[in-house]
Amino acid sequence: MSWITLTRARPARSLWPVVRRSVLGLALPALLLVVWQGICVARLLPLYILPSPVAVIARFATELSGGQFGTDVLASLARVLKGFFLGSAAGLSFGVLLGLSRWAERLLAPLFLAYRQIALFAWVPLLSMWFGGGETGKIAFVTLSAFAPVVVNTWRAIRAIPDSLNELGAVLTFDRLDQISLIALPGALPGIVTGVRSALIYAWLATVGAELFLDIAPGMGGRLNEGRDKFEIDLMLVALFVLTGLGLVFSQTAALIERRLVTWRLG
Amino acid sequence: MSGSRSAVWDRASASWPGRAVIGLIVPALLGVVWLITAQKGWLPDQLLPSPVAVWQALVDTATSGDLWTNSLISVTRVGEGFAIGAALGLILGTVLGLSRRARELVDPLFLLLAQVPPLGLIPLAILALGIDEAMKVAVIAWASFIPVVLNVKQGVGDVPQSLQELAEVLTFGPWYALTRVVLPAAVPPIFTGLREGLANAWQTMVAAELFASTEGLGYMLALGRQLFQFDMVLAVVLVLGVVGLAVNGTLALVERRLLRWQGQAA
Amino acid sequence: MNKDPRKGFGHGAAVTVIAALAAFAVAGAAAAEPISIRFGYPGVGSDNRPFANGDIVAVAHAGHYIEDEFAGDPDIKIEWTFFRGAGPALNESLASGHLDFASGLGDLPAIVGRSNGLQTRYLLTDKVRDTIYLAVRPESGIERIEDLANHRLSQFKGTNLQLAADRVLAAHGLSERNAKFINLDIGGSLAALTTGSIDGTFGSVELLTLRDRGIVKIAYSTKAEAANFGRHSAIYVTEAFEKQHPELVQRVVDAFVKAARFAADEVNRSAVFELWSKSGYPGAVFAEDFDNERLANRLTPVIDPYVISRYKDLAARVREYGLVRKDIDVDSWFEPKYLDAALKAQHLEHFWPRFDADGGKLTDGEVEKTQVGSR
Repeated sequence: MSWITLTRARPARSLWPVVRRSVLGLALPALLLVVWQGICVARLLPLYILPSPVAVIARFATELSGGQFGTDVLASLARVLKGFFLGSAAGLSFGVLLGLSRWAERLLAPLFLAYRQIALFAWVPLLSMWFGGGETGKIAFVTLSAFAPVVVNTWRAIRAIPDSLNELGAVLTFDRLDQISLIALPGALPGIVTGVRSALIYAWLATVGAELFLDIAPGMGGRLNEGRDKFEIDLMLVALFVLTGLGLVFSQTAALIERRLVTWRLG
Repeated sequence: MSGSRSAVWDRASASWPGRAVIGLIVPALLGVVWLITAQKGWLPDQLLPSPVAVWQALVDTATSGDLWTNSLISVTRVGEGFAIGAALGLILGTVLGLSRRARELVDPLFLLLAQVPPLGLIPLAILALGIDEAMKVAVIAWASFIPVVLNVKQGVGDVPQSLQELAEVLTFGPWYALTRVVLPAAVPPIFTGLREGLANAWQTMVAAELFASTEGLGYMLALGRQLFQFDMVLAVVLVLGVVGLAVNGTLALVERRLLRWQGQAA
Repeated sequence: MNKDPRKGFGHGAAVTVIAALAAFAVAGAAAAEPISIRFGYPGVGSDNRPFANGDIVAVAHAGHYIEDEFAGDPDIKIEWTFFRGAGPALNESLASGHLDFASGLGDLPAIVGRSNGLQTRYLLTDKVRDTIYLAVRPESGIERIEDLANHRLSQFKGTNLQLAADRVLAAHGLSERNAKFINLDIGGSLAALTTGSIDGTFGSVELLTLRDRGIVKIAYSTKAEAANFGRHSAIYVTEAFEKQHPELVQRVVDAFVKAARFAADEVNRSAVFELWSKSGYPGAVFAEDFDNERLANRLTPVIDPYVISRYKDLAARVREYGLVRKDIDVDSWFEPKYLDAALKAQHLEHFWPRFDADGGKLTDGEVEKTQVGSR
């Protein structure tokens, strides 16, 4: 039997594939957990370097009941959303500008592309200096992270609109506002949505970064820092898991919205 | 009137030297504004260091050799981490793309792992691996690994069934089929993954060096920040842009070459 | 007319976009609010808690001296920010207009800030002759400073720890080139020491608690030579705030001087250590830090020739080590008029001794006669 046929779909029976998929999917994580617990039980590593999964769960429960966790999650979420909206709005405007105006594109695109080469975290010191290390500085950093993906995707999407559609707007004597709202934005919507979805993910990563590199404040990144400073690895792991979970929520939500928007548009 | 003006623009932007000049207009204008603002002192020195000071900082670090040493160190780190992460990512991505069983086993875990912010891993990596090269290369490798796996998996998985069956008909062995049919067909998504992985690697390098380092461009950034030398910080930011451009440009060049060679071979 | 709406689109939109981006940038660099007095402290307590130790400001903060001074003014708010990033982070907030007073800012970051154009006035001293310790991992085999060559150490760049450490090294024939120095903040240093990623670090009382846990041993302390190698910190106000509210500056200085009066009096020795222990360290480490040393040796607000010459000397060293690129004018930095007024009003003109540029005593101080436990 050739190895290629292994990749072919098998005929399915009703419930079994779902159960089988879940079991298979959980197999690897479960195995890792067992190995982890085993390492701790066998004291292969000192417990203060690697706490056991049980200890981490216990710490999670403690933190949750302490009530501070909710504040932290909300604080991080607030930063993400504020920066994300600001950055996306600015990115959308700039992307529309580059997409619709040849002059703007020729004058500004090279500078923008050069700016894009600079790693995002390189801006931390400068932003911290201009806006301080508090909320403003953190949100400024998140805004910056959301800006570029939206610009690039909006710009490209608008440029990709067939000329025939644009000429249609000219024939119908659309003014600029109509041109944007009736042709450019709807036509570029899938690309814009991709950019916005990218921006959300980058904004989340930037929020974590901002909380780690700037001043202490409520937030999940701050808890990670706290664990690191107090040398409490269980807290660090709890914070990391929560961050991962939140990241999962973000990426899945973003994907869901993208799918909904695209089907709504096509429908 | 406007007709003749736009004709000039159109002609100028038709050729790439013309486009380059036009592209430089706005940066040049900004540079002049910057210079004037600094000379007149309209903004305090710390908020906006004068371009002269930034230039001086660049020259100083270049002549002392620090600039080259640190750039080389950073680029080497990225290179090592990216090479490891991309290689592993290619392997895992191919396996996942080809084998449904593997996907069922690994996908859920991988989806979760993909969400772990590399930045958040750094403190743990420091504990496990120390503050040395090992830690930085490991974190950079991880950051490169994820996007490569995701894109390669998708690219290989998308290779049309017909192509695979063709390979079987031509009685290609599995290895031959893989390297001559499947992978070449998946080159564009593979390179998307590589590009994303490299971008990730670069970002993570800067972040890791900001955290804990004795050398590298990120270290120069951190040092400039700690010593309140924001002309140095701006200089390093500019250098990062240039080096980033060079590194990404190299990858793009490789990609173009590969696609061209592939097209010729077909 | 069949005009393509895309052409000529650029102008209006371009102006709007650029204006919007510019407005955003300006808003970010906003100036201070008139009714808040914002204090910054370059450091945090043991688990990032917002408390300080070891100086007059810590006593003033933990003892609510500032808040008490303005208790009768409902429209004045007092805000404290404790910076995990120490002096450098405080400087950034100062530069972006988020602080009015830099209370307890160390010598190096203050000098660096001034050299780079931060406009502040030196109002009163916060502490002088502060001891630093060299903590090393027991297995590293480091017994003395000279052994540091070819080992890995951490250093929190830009803080007065760095300057004090550099001077200690220089005095023993070493420099940053002999030992490898990694830029790590205090939390990072402690973690790195515990896991063995570095062999040693310079620091303060937090290292003593690490020693008590058996993780490090103290290989060296500057206690014996604190007059030369100690580090200093002071209380500064931004020139902008001083111009706007000179009367508030006077009241703030009054409050700090009151706190200093309490903190320097030996009678209050255990009370002071207790206030400092709010930062998360046990009172015993402060007792050890001040072993055989009078509180007033470090906790003195005066601006005397000793302080002025120390800062001049440090400014020269900082230039020499290449940490700044411009000379700075130290003399015009000091603004003792508020301090003098406060001392006069509280009858403390002769409370603290004053020293000359070489550290020799100029005048005696009443505080030298105070004794522990006479209450």
